Amino acid sequence: MKTRLENFFNAKSFCVVGASTTSNKPGNVVAYNFVHFFPGKTYLVNPKGGELYNNKLYKSVLEIDDSIDAACVIVPARYVPLALQECGKKGIKNIIVTTGGFSEIGEEGIKLQQQMFDVMREFELNVIGPNCLGLYSPALGYDTMFLPGSKLKRPSNGPVSIFTQSGAFGAAFIDQLSRLGSGKWVSKFISYGNASDINETDSLEFVGQDPDTKMILIYLEDFKNGREFMQKAREISLKKPIMGIKANRTETGAKAGASHTAALSVNDIIVDDLLSDAGIIRVITWDQLEDCVLVFGTQPLPLGDKVAIVTDGGGAGVMASDMVSDCGLTLAKLSAEVQKKLDDTFPSFYSTGNPIDITGSATAADYRIALEAVYDDPNVDSIVNICIPVIPDLDIEEYIKITKELAKRKEKPFVTALVGGEEADYATVELLKDDLPAFESPGRAVRALGMLTEYTKYLQKHGVDPRSIKMED
Amino acid sequence: MSGIKEILTVIQSEQRKAVLEHEAKMILRKMEIIVPPSALVKTKEEAIEAASKFGYPVVMKLMSVEVIHKTDYGAVVINLQSEEEVKSTFDDFMNRFSSVDVAGVLIEKMVGKGLELIIGTNTDPTFGPVILFGVGGVMVEAIKDVVFRLCPTTQPQALQAIEEIKARVLLEGFRGMPKVNKKELSNLIVKISELAWEYKEYIAEMDINPIIANEDGLFPVDARIILK
Repeated sequence: MKTRLENFFNAKSFCVVGASTTSNKPGNVVAYNFVHFFPGKTYLVNPKGGELYNNKLYKSVLEIDDSIDAACVIVPARYVPLALQECGKKGIKNIIVTTGGFSEIGEEGIKLQQQMFDVMREFELNVIGPNCLGLYSPALGYDTMFLPGSKLKRPSNGPVSIFTQSGAFGAAFIDQLSRLGSGKWVSKFISYGNASDINETDSLEFVGQDPDTKMILIYLEDFKNGREFMQKAREISLKKPIMGIKANRTETGAKAGASHTAALSVNDIIVDDLLSDAGIIRVITWDQLEDCVLVFGTQPLPLGDKVAIVTDGGGAGVMASDMVSDCGLTLAKLSAEVQKKLDDTFPSFYSTGNPIDITGSATAADYRIALEAVYDDPNVDSIVNICIPVIPDLDIEEYIKITKELAKRKEKPFVTALVGGEEADYATVELLKDDLPAFESPGRAVRALGMLTEYTKYLQKHGVDPRSIKMED
Repeated sequence: MSGIKEILTVIQSEQRKAVLEHEAKMILRKMEIIVPPSALVKTKEEAIEAASKFGYPVVMKLMSVEVIHKTDYGAVVINLQSEEEVKSTFDDFMNRFSSVDVAGVLIEKMVGKGLELIIGTNTDPTFGPVILFGVGGVMVEAIKDVVFRLCPTTQPQALQAIEEIKARVLLEGFRGMPKVNKKELSNLIVKISELAWEYKEYIAEMDINPIIANEDGLFPVDARIILK
């Protein structure tokens, strides 16, 4: 069955209704995006007529002879119902309305949205929005994000698809991803705003079947179609990881009832249980979401929960160990062979248990020995590489080289925590340049592994081999 | 499952939202859920006959649409050991509740001590019928050790839910308590979720609490159903 969003993304001809000649105005930015990047045919509409970016400005969509697959309506809220009506008459079925000022502003806006509904029903339109950024796909040259490229930087093509209820969250996260590592992260971005028609469940259904989407990131505040969302998520999460934020956690749920069950039915507790049952990794904070992109997007899933930690600082190792247990992970018991190798190689004042503490005397060569040994240990499922670079004998360039080699092997998840100041920052940036997960604290690095492992456990419980989940074809 | 709709329709036609315990248990029986042997009696003689048929000890509960929170009104008496005690309890009920509309007295075989669990359902404004499983008893709302799933739920989902309560160690035979049969428990969760789903037009909320888990099995001891 074809999903409703496919009609939008597969459009061969696109119309910008409300194309503005004033630079940086929303209607100007979207016109620019489509004229310059969209491989299909672009039509621009502005009642004043004239020309924009060497394209004719049609006074009305009804003047256009060609058939049009999808449109973006960027006109003031009060003109939106009329613009939709004209699109409907023209036979345009798939329309993005980015304009705000509808149900989110109260009574007046609710009336306008009702008028929108009437037109939508009359012409059987598929509508995204209103009050949203619409759609973005770098590979398809599809971009209704009305914020200028000089301000909102666009990430390029990659494995992640995102759908969000909040446009501002979406814009910020898109901007953030553009400067994360190579910036090659995004497949499809969907901002559906007030969800007058297309909602979270349509979005999930689309990215779930989209072959270019390898992982799914979500930001929700509420559900329009919660039951179906959870049912679809249960199927999709066995094929690709779904993770994200369900904010609005203090929202009150059902009114108090006569039973204990009703009294215990707190909205967020139910949401939390249903998300976990559906295999969705729930995160609470913004930084966790970026961490998700980094680890899920660049590292394989672990096959179990046993972690090895290598560190040059005792405290960092202890804190990482604490986080290991907080995240439901366990410290690996190293195999006898690996243990013997470490004991034979390292001076007696190095601690060769797990965490392996190679102390302030550590050299890059010591890191190589310890990290390679645990990487190759069959008893180890994932590795945390902690470095406080302030120690005198550590050649940071050499350390970065070793870390890159191991993080690129991608047989097991390998995360790095660089703790400190200038040199730590430098090494972090170097690793991120190659899209390798590097974090500023041991806790954050372990927590990222925790999220990967949570997903592994879910898959294994459902009889799915975690190795079947891949970020590349 | 035939007959459940009829029971619910009758209750609705009486403009009642509360399903009485004996009606709720009749519904559970129709879902092939094992509940302790019980009988609704109208006379002292019937009470004695039922008690001796089930064997002592028994529990007696007053069934009345005016007495929903039975424990609060002293309308539940447990651990009745003899014919004498059944007689005097019956008389006591008739005296104390002479002014209320009494549907009868439920005589029930008393279930031995065990771990108290809860299975409940509710109609969530976002997700529709949801099922809850957790640690039951009178302190359920204080302990709040519960897990939710969508109705209808499957057995693997129910088994997973059972593993998610904080007190799951209690199910493993904690300090001499009998081990809980998780397969049977998950079956019970599935059946109750199916009941809530099949009859979602009627049922708003449900508490099967406590469900006593002891060496003989799992026994729903009290059941409350609230209609829409």
